[in-house]
Order: sequence, then C-alpha cells, then structure tokens
Amino acid sequence: MAWTWVGRRWLWALGLVLVLGALALAVPLTVDRRDEPEPRGTPVNVLLEDFQVERDVAIVPAGTVSLRIRNQGPTSHELIVVRSDLAPDKLPLQSDGLTVNEDGRGVKLLEEAEGLDIDDRKTMVLDLTPGNYVMYCNLEGHYLGGMYAALTAR
Amino acid sequence: MRRSPPAEVGAASATQRKAARGRSGIGRLLPRLPILGDLRLGRRLAWVIVLLIVLVAAILVYNTRAIGQQRGSALVVNLAARQRALVERYTKDVLLVVDGFKADPRDSGEAVRQPVDVLLDGGSVRAPKGDGSRVEIQPVRDWRVRRKLEQDRRLIDELIATGDGLLESGRADPERYAADVTKLRVLTAQLSSVANDAAQEITQQTEASLDRLVRIELGLGLLSALAALAMGLLLRRAGAEQAAQFRSLVNNSSDLITVLAPDGTIAYQSPSVQRVLGRRAADLVGTPLADLVHPDDQHDVDGSLTELVEAAPGATANFACRLQHNEGSWRQVESTCTNLVDDPRVHGLVLNIRDVTEQAALRQSIGDLLHNLARRSQGLVDRQLELIDDLEKHEVDPDRLQGLFRMDHLATRMRRNVENLIVLSGVDQRRRWSEAVPLRDVVEAAVAEVEEYSRVQIAGLHDLTLAGQAASDVAHLLAELVENATTFSSPTTRVEVSGGPTGNGYVLEIEDHGIGMSDAEMAEANRRLAEPLAADVSMSRMMGFHVVGRLAVRHGIRVQLRHCWFGGVTALVLLPAALLGSAGGRPATAPVPAGVAFSPEPLLVANTMKSSWQPRAHLPLRRHAAPAPNRGGDTDAAAEAGDPVE
Repeated sequence: MAWTWVGRRWLWALGLVLVLGALALAVPLTVDRRDEPEPRGTPVNVLLEDFQVERDVAIVPAGTVSLRIRNQGPTSHELIVVRSDLAPDKLPLQSDGLTVNEDGRGVKLLEEAEGLDIDDRKTMVLDLTPGNYVMYCNLEGHYLGGMYAALTAR
Repeated sequence: MRRSPPAEVGAASATQRKAARGRSGIGRLLPRLPILGDLRLGRRLAWVIVLLIVLVAAILVYNTRAIGQQRGSALVVNLAARQRALVERYTKDVLLVVDGFKADPRDSGEAVRQPVDVLLDGGSVRAPKGDGSRVEIQPVRDWRVRRKLEQDRRLIDELIATGDGLLESGRADPERYAADVTKLRVLTAQLSSVANDAAQEITQQTEASLDRLVRIELGLGLLSALAALAMGLLLRRAGAEQAAQFRSLVNNSSDLITVLAPDGTIAYQSPSVQRVLGRRAADLVGTPLADLVHPDDQHDVDGSLTELVEAAPGATANFACRLQHNEGSWRQVESTCTNLVDDPRVHGLVLNIRDVTEQAALRQSIGDLLHNLARRSQGLVDRQLELIDDLEKHEVDPDRLQGLFRMDHLATRMRRNVENLIVLSGVDQRRRWSEAVPLRDVVEAAVAEVEEYSRVQIAGLHDLTLAGQAASDVAHLLAELVENATTFSSPTTRVEVSGGPTGNGYVLEIEDHGIGMSDAEMAEANRRLAEPLAADVSMSRMMGFHVVGRLAVRHGIRVQLRHCWFGGVTALVLLPAALLGSAGGRPATAPVPAGVAFSPEPLLVANTMKSSWQPRAHLPLRRHAAPAPNRGGDTDAAAEAGDPVE
C-alpha cells in the first residue's frame, strides 16, 4: 500500500495538522451575519444614491411599514425618517447650514439608519400614523444636494 | 611470491547502492545534512522540514505584505484628510477673488484634484512625513474605493466649474452669486463627506485586511509550532532509537568496549566484560586497567598506550596481552585502541578488546604440531646429511661424487624448509653460540645454503662480528633472501651481497637483476616483513616472508625490499648495533655521513674488504665446495627451488 511508509500515526498527525491549518485559515474568512428585522406591514423600497433618495411609492397606508433600504452609492449614506409637515426641502438646518437640525422646529425624528456603504441593505420597520414624513441623508451637503424624499401615510 | 593476485573489491559498494535505492525523493537529501544524516530519520523528517520551511516562508511573505499595506493605508488616509483642507481653501480663494482680494484659486484647484488622480491612477505623491520627499503609490484596485474616488473627482470637477462660473460672473447677478456660493458650500461639504467616506472605507478595509493577516499568521504560527514539535519529537525518537541501537550493539557485542581516561583508569566499560572476564562493568569503572593486565605484559601495554596518547588525535594502535578473569585465570586478548582524548564527547582512549584465548590455544596447538613434525623431520634430514657426508668422504669417482653433492644440496634445502616450519611454529630452539661469529662467516654460510651459490658475489663486508645468539637466525634469514634473489633472476646474472655501516647498525644488501616486483606486491611484501602475522592460511602461500619477518622480529632486525634502478629487487637487512661487535677491537659501526639511514637508497659498499671466509663447523654450512650446478639437467632441483621463499 502506498501509505505504508508513513504509518497510521503519521497519517493522524498529518490530518490533525491539516484540520488545524484549515481552521486557522477559515476563521478570518467568515463573514459576520447581521440580524435583520423581519419585514412586516407595507413594504417600501428605498434606493439611496449620490445624491438622491428614490422610493417606489410615495403614499402608504398608515400602520406598519417596512422600508427596505438599499444604498447604491457610490458613497456611504444614511437614511433619517422624520415626521414633518414642512416641505421636504425646507427642513430646518443646523448652524453650519449644511445639515438638518433634527431637533428643530416642525421636525420629529422617527428612526435613522446609519453607515450604509455601497450595496448595503437594511430594513427599517416603522409604525406610521397618518401624516407627512421626510426621508433624507444628513451627511454634510447631502441633504442640500437634493438627497431627500417625501412619504405620506394615510 | 612476487606476483600476488589483486584484491577483490566491490562488496561494500553493492551494499551502498542497495541502501541508496532504499531512499527516495527528499529522503535522498538527508545524508548530505551533516547532523540529520547520521540520525537516519528518513522521509518523515524530510517532509516535516519541508512543511516548516514552507510555513516560515509564508509567514515572511504575509508579514511583508502587511507592512506594505499598513504603509499604503496611512498614506491614503493622510491624503484624504488633506483633501478637505484643500477644498475649503479653494472655496475660500474663489470667494476672496470675487470680493476683490488678491488670490489664485487655480493652484488650489489643481491641488484638490491631484491626490484623487494619484489614488485612482497611481503615481507620485508627497510623503506624509512632511520632509518633502515623494513616494510612489499603486493605483487603488478595490472597486468600492474606486467608485467613491471617482465620485470625488466628479464633485471636484463640478466644484471647479462652479468656481470658474463664479469668478466669471462675480457679483453682477446677485441671485446667481448667491446660488453659486451655496453650491460651492454644498459641494465642499459633499467633497468632505465623500473624502471622509473613502478614507474610512480604506481604513476599514485595511483593518480588516490586517486582522485577517493576523489571524492567518496565528494559524501559520500554530502550524509552525506543530511542525517544530513534530520535528522535535522525531529527533528525540530517532536519537533514542539510535542510542538504544548503540546500547544494544555494545551490550550484546562479544568484544569489550573500554574507555580509558588519560590517567589510565577505566572511565567506561561495556557490560560484555561480565561474559569475558566475569566482572561487573560498574566495579571496573575508576580502576586502573593495569590491575587487570598480566605482569609480564604490563610493560608492553604501558608502552603502547603511552605512545598512543602522545600520537595524533584519532591514531590507533594494536596490542595483545592477557587480562585476568575474576576467577584468577588469564584470558588472551587483542585490542585495537583509538586515541580520542581530544574528542570532548569521549576524552579518552577507546579500546576494542577481543577475547582470543581459544584462538591462541588453537594457534599454540598448531604450532606444537608443526614443531613436532618439523623436529622429527629435522632429525631425519640431519642423519641423511651425515650419511651423505660420509659417502662423499670415501667417494673417488667424480661422477658419483657430483651426484652426492647434488643430494647434499637437496638435503640442505630440506633442512632449511624444516627449520622454516620450526620458526613458524613459534618455538625458538635454534642452536645458539655464546661467542660472537664473524659477520662474513654468517653471510657465507647463508650463501652456501643456496643451490645456485656460484652466482652469488659477496661484494665486500666490514670486519665485524655478530652476536652468537643471532648468528643462526641471521644466516637462515639471509639464506631465504639470497635464494629468493637467485630464483627470481636470470641464471646468467649475478646476485650481489654487500654491506655497509649506518648510524644505528649495519646494512646488508642482497641485490638481484631479476624481473622485479610491482609496487603493490612490494608494499604487501614489506608489510608482511614488518608485521609477520600469526599462523593462518596465507602463511602457506607466503611462507618465506613469514619466516624472514619472524626471524627479524626475534632479534630486532629490519628487512625491507626496494626496487633497483636498473631492474630487480634489493633486499635491505639492517642489523642493529646491539648485535654487532668489532673483530679487531674497532667500533662495531663506522661513522657515517649525516642522513644515511635505513630508509634512504641502499648504501653501496666498496669492495675494499678481502674475503676471509672459512667454513665453520658450528654454522650450518655446506661442508664441501659443490660443483657448478647443472641447471639444464637439474629439473627437479629447479622445481624444488622454484619458489624457495613463498
């Protein structure tokens, strides 16, 4: 037999070394799995890109809404949802004049999804009462660059 | 005697070839490793070593890559951070120019663009160290970072276009001015955001890459440690196996392995001493070897060991002695001793001692048998010679007298053969004379024993005497050499015997003009002459050399054969000064020029001495001047004399 010169013990030792080596190489290649909330209610697909927010529907039934967010990039973005009866392009700004003041007058922060890199996907589940909402990216210059969209719940 | 067949070789090489065929692949490299080759670990260790080398190489490669990535990452992040300041400076320069201040936004605009171009396309950038040096960086390959940088470049283009429009229109149109300024601020903010995003992406990727590298290195390190552990275990196991094998060999060897400390005490004794001498090895450690040696042998043993200690490291010596058994009897042993005093692992003399008591007894029995047979034959031959002598005295017919002389020759030859057997039997029962004998008489007596004595010419000898106890043996020795010379040379040539003094004795030369000997044959003959072996099979084939060697050793005489420059062989016989005396009260040896010794070329003696040969009754001489031998008709005698020495 071809393996006789190695001997059974050496086969075991070789196998152990190979298994340990495979483990050592496989651990760094594993990908962390994120816990995503299960989509519920009315789904709304929200697409982020430089520098605009697109959604497949503008009016949704009041109640549970799942925003299925996807960032097309090419840069990182975030998505903030506020309830406001102000026009989407008239939200109050911070003192730097570049970002929205989420604590400003006529604005109520509901939820935010930060750190969305290219091709990142995230589901945001909201309980929306009837009213007007604005979705925008509040990174410096993004909102002013036109990266916002309105959403109405009825 | 002069044409021994060449020795057959090749068995060892066949074994080596077989061993070489047993290895394969990397295992063949092992014997070339000075340490591992001795351990004979085979292919297992070879593979472990290869694995270890691969792992170490992989670690080195990954380390190099990690260092390179760290350096590139620091540079890229630094460039991204700088871009924010450059964009802000450009915006400020544009507004200053619009407001009438002196500034040049074109340079700052190019400065904003350049780092992104370098990151995307590769090239030279200023090093972040701030020392003015520039470094080359490779283009970014990751698609995420490239898309962000490309967006960055588009924003920069838009920024510069907006700035150019603002510079062109100025404050002429207030609404457009306000819109352009707002756009500049928004673009600046977006550029800052994008640049930060790109830098963060690069940083995250680098950290992930480094983290991955660290894990891989940990894995490789673990594998290396396992491989090193496996190799260590293999080495230990192999070493233990080898030590066990060595112990087994030593313990079960029929020979004794003894290590003597330089002071002569036993530092190590193999357990086989229990079997040979009935003693425990542990009891002998620390005791002097001399306590075991027979008192009669101690002088020789001490001399051999002292000489060996003073010899070069690794030198060997052989000696024989008797060692005392625990029961009081004596065991005959032969020892091969090696000087390893300078070897730190041994620091002593290693003795390989073999018990040859049975062999010695057997040799003694054979010697006794030879001696008894020879003595009986000797008596008969002596009686035969006396009878022939009587017949010769009363014979008057020339033809019949010549026949008697030939019988006399043959009987004399037979007597010498018998005496050879006595010499080889190891018994010294030769007749001895208390008075010194003239050297010339001894030489002439030797010549007279040779059948073809008429071809021998004694060229000249000094007027010396030879000690009586050595006269018979020297005559016998010379007779063998002279007969050898006459036998292996043409009947028409002469054999010359001459002599001359040296610094430590007197040299006799027996020179023939015969067929000579090859270098190998001569070396073998000289070795036999210098170290006559005990009785064995080869003795019957080379009896003459054995006899000459033994006779020489008996009296401290040295015999050596050399090539003659004109062909043939010269036998040199160095008689030590202790055997010599002066016939006329003169010194036994004449002063000689410096450098003349036994080993140089033969010293030719001038034929200045007048022969004073007179037959002496007390030497085994032929008692009549024999007629010239009839070689043509004496085929029996020629056959008999065909190999007189061998």
